[in-house]
Amino acid sequence: MAANFWNSTHHKQLLDPEEADVVHPIDKERGFTLEDFKLIKMHMANYIARLAQNVKVRQRVVATAVTYMRRVYTRKSMTEYDPRLVAPSCLYLASKAEESTVQARLLVFYIKKLCNNFFLTWYLNSDEKYRYEIKEILEMEMKILEALNYHLVVFHPYRALSQLLQDAGMSDSTQLAWGLVNDTYKTDLILIHPPHLIALACIYVASVLKDKENTAWFEELRVDMNVVKNIAMEILDFYDSHKAITDDRVNAAMHKLGLKA
Amino acid sequence: MWKGNTKNRGGNSENNQSNRPEWLQQYDVIGKIGEGAYGLVFLANTKSNPSKFVAIKKFKPSSYGDGVSPTAIREIMLLRETAHENVVKLVNVHVDHVDMSLYLSFDYADHDLYGIVKHHRDNVKRAINKYTVKSLLWQLLDGLNYLHSNWIVHRDIKPANVLVMGEGEEQGVVKIADFGLARIFRAPLKPLSLNGVVVTIWYRAPELLLGAKHYTSAVDIWAVGCIFAELLTLTPLFPGQDLQGRPTPFQINQLDKIFRVLGHPTREKWPRLVDLPHWQSNQQYIQERKYESPGLYNVVHVSPKSPAYDLLSKMLQYDPQKRITAAQALEHEYFRMEPLPGRNALVPPQPGEEVVNYPTRHVNTTTKFEGKTSLKTSQPAASGIAVSGCIAGPHVMPTHSVPQPAHLAAMQWKQPQGMTSHNLSSQAGMGAAPNPSSIPKQLGPRGVAPHAHQQQQLRIKDPGMGMDRYPPEQRS
Repeated sequence: MAANFWNSTHHKQLLDPEEADVVHPIDKERGFTLEDFKLIKMHMANYIARLAQNVKVRQRVVATAVTYMRRVYTRKSMTEYDPRLVAPSCLYLASKAEESTVQARLLVFYIKKLCNNFFLTWYLNSDEKYRYEIKEILEMEMKILEALNYHLVVFHPYRALSQLLQDAGMSDSTQLAWGLVNDTYKTDLILIHPPHLIALACIYVASVLKDKENTAWFEELRVDMNVVKNIAMEILDFYDSHKAITDDRVNAAMHKLGLKA
Repeated sequence: MWKGNTKNRGGNSENNQSNRPEWLQQYDVIGKIGEGAYGLVFLANTKSNPSKFVAIKKFKPSSYGDGVSPTAIREIMLLRETAHENVVKLVNVHVDHVDMSLYLSFDYADHDLYGIVKHHRDNVKRAINKYTVKSLLWQLLDGLNYLHSNWIVHRDIKPANVLVMGEGEEQGVVKIADFGLARIFRAPLKPLSLNGVVVTIWYRAPELLLGAKHYTSAVDIWAVGCIFAELLTLTPLFPGQDLQGRPTPFQINQLDKIFRVLGHPTREKWPRLVDLPHWQSNQQYIQERKYESPGLYNVVHVSPKSPAYDLLSKMLQYDPQKRITAAQALEHEYFRMEPLPGRNALVPPQPGEEVVNYPTRHVNTTTKFEGKTSLKTSQPAASGIAVSGCIAGPHVMPTHSVPQPAHLAAMQWKQPQGMTSHNLSSQAGMGAAPNPSSIPKQLGPRGVAPHAHQQQQLRIKDPGMGMDRYPPEQRS
């Protein structure tokens, strides 16, 4: 329920990693690989964050929107649900769910404005193709609601993060840890692990990076440190592989989406 | 159990409704039972099980080109997470991509506290028996305790939003409905300020009336206290006159009604009183009015020494921090003495006790389910949470009487024991309510989401039952 993660629909629908790494048959036919799928979702997470900056909503709205988008793609194909429309529509829906409603026309304005940054690089002459009208956003909002099976409450690591950092005496690392949490949304971690464990993993990474010894503090927590360390490894793996991600690779993946349907 | 998408369950019936969306074909729509700012509520039964009735709440698409209304989003969001016997159950959600409408179907409840109180006042002309009052109150508190312990404040508790199940397995079970204004108050992104969006004024807590910006689950308990008194006396406890104006008007008349019964609030009773905006700025009106309290017990006609009175007065504490919580109330002595509260609030377990047959809702069979709704969007006055068969219009009189539109072909679809019916009330609530938040510390500057203006207008329309009204928004 709303206050208790363990009773929430969020908890009930946590996935195994293999369940998150799906490429739908129809997308496979069109040549999408798992790698493409991941790159596109990452690119769209960045896109959502950038749109959010422009329409001025908070990080929590971004996090909810990205979670919605990632949930949608565990169930729907990119062929049927074009990420270029799904991403802003998720932000639109999340803004309502998180009580920071953004007007659709404002969103559409910034979609047009950001179109060049996010889509034109791999496909020149397509500037008209990736703009969306209000009506399309509204229609997609309803399709997303359906795809999410109307589960809209999402928990995030941020709340736990602040409390835990304070408790660990690491408030000076807030900025670093917060940035790490933000970056976890470039992966499917939020679909797989409870948010407080993601927060702990980020603190763990932060303490390693800052060379801060707090093994004792971690040991006092009643959590499975193996899980925390595994999440931390996934985060570090992400940063490693991220270095190898070039614009060209992202563009190649995005290119497979083709023109707007 | 959630039934999920029903696409593959409909479509098996072939009849004159075949042009209806697939999901709808699993239902036979009987008629309209309510109407509010959000849209319409219809009564239907499922074809596969004709004795299973549902209330289908149709949210009209936003006329501002902004898709699904945030109110609908929040209602779905919260109801998808809740599961408690005393909280209305969302059976299904349907989206209609053609007309861009959203439909929520709920287990149908025949009655609500508004109708029950009215029936006793106007027809039975006798008090509600003690067992029923106590059982209704206990279940209402049990549902609220569940919500509050899950950080949800309802914000629009009023008789019309407290449903009671009719004949069937769940007979006499209370269901809290209408979560359109409910909030998770653990982590609000925006300060939960009033902005004119508040609970029906008669049930509104004094801290809200005095302009508190950060309020708590205690506002729901105040409303329960008002309802408790109303169940005892069959009359609203604080029937204030809603004043119009903008920005959020200071509801002096409503406060006055409260002060006359409970006496003037004092700094001793309520230390933080002096910090409330309206207390400071309206000195000549409220600080100078001194009433000798006639005593709440004289108004509700219960002995000041009775447990019932003790519980009631604890729910009507001025200071929200001292007000009893739902959890504490459930432990109160009142609920431990005979008659003990029961699950079927309408039928006392003792043989020989008289059973009152309550009328069921009016069903208006002339309103079409599909197509443009007949909402009077131009009239932002009282409509009501599903005032069944009733129109959205400005009912000004501060009484419980709701004009029955004569032109509506209203019919009684189910009339147990030949009762006449006058029921108006809400199913699946549609209400307007205000903000929760029990976070004691400062949440930030008062702020309004870009859309607040629009939402506010929508919410303001539902003061409920035509007993009071909110000011129409004046755009300057």
